[in-house]
Amino acid sequence: MNVFVNERVITIPVDCHIEQLLTQLESPLKGSAVAVNQHIISRSKWAEYKLNEGDQISLFQAIAGG
Amino acid sequence: MLTDPEILRYSRHLLLEDVGESGQSALKFAKVLIIGMGGLGSPAALYLAAAGVGTLVISDFDHLEVSNLQRQIAYQSSDLGTAKVTLMKQRLEALNPEIRVRSINTQMSESQLSMELILADLVLDCTDNMVSRQMINRVCVKACKPLIVGAAIRFEGQLMFFNHSKADSACYHCLFPNSEEPALNCSNAGVLGPVVGTIGTLQALEALKYLLGLPSGINNKLKLFDAKTLEWQTFTINKDPKCPVCGQIK
Repeated sequence: MNVFVNERVITIPVDCHIEQLLTQLESPLKGSAVAVNQHIISRSKWAEYKLNEGDQISLFQAIAGG
Repeated sequence: MLTDPEILRYSRHLLLEDVGESGQSALKFAKVLIIGMGGLGSPAALYLAAAGVGTLVISDFDHLEVSNLQRQIAYQSSDLGTAKVTLMKQRLEALNPEIRVRSINTQMSESQLSMELILADLVLDCTDNMVSRQMINRVCVKACKPLIVGAAIRFEGQLMFFNHSKADSACYHCLFPNSEEPALNCSNAGVLGPVVGTIGTLQALEALKYLLGLPSGINNKLKLFDAKTLEWQTFTINKDPKCPVCGQIK
């Protein structure tokens, strides 16, 4: 199935959860935040949160600068 | 409530239906703690002082370096080597003699910050590192104090508001759960001055709205600013029931 990650189409297996997606993208788990359809998904849910066809996923890094 | 000089000084506020004399008095009796006097803290402190927030407590432990001046617009080239809080206190008092400014020139411990929070109505996190951000969040959650968080690097900004006086408030830790995690900052990633200035200015705006009793559009939300396209993304942050900082105590 297809989802959108930062507006790019990505094909992932059915029942793929967030952690699997990040592994597939070779994206670091640490220091990252993930939102699905404009809702932040807490890190503690990444291993169980299953993605759906067409989900809009935003993946971004923690920034600390000021 | 307001003196004649204050009525003159704040006349443009007094014209606003959402401020008026009662709003300006609320600002006068408010106390805001701003932690970090860099690129975020510069505009945040200047705007809150100008607006007549009655007591500002400003905290930083750095001395001004020449590489700060590209974005930390409260300071001058002739100020190099002086403690930022000393410079900022002078600057704010010169800007608005009607307000009180107290400076803290140390890296605050968790217990010292807890003490400072007792009298504060609101906290602005304008720091530049993850360890401080996590500590400020923990203490604000415990003390039930509203926290406005800003951050910026490169061409990106982040802005959040957590009203920890409400039981359903999420927290910074729900979003970024680890203080040891690599986080980008201005000295390792670079930043364009107006990007960090935009976020610091919006922290001041949200602070004023909170103190005036106006609803915030960003409560339990993260705003991401893309300075290249000037586009904003908005994300809802739900309280994580498993969050070790805010999940259990409320």
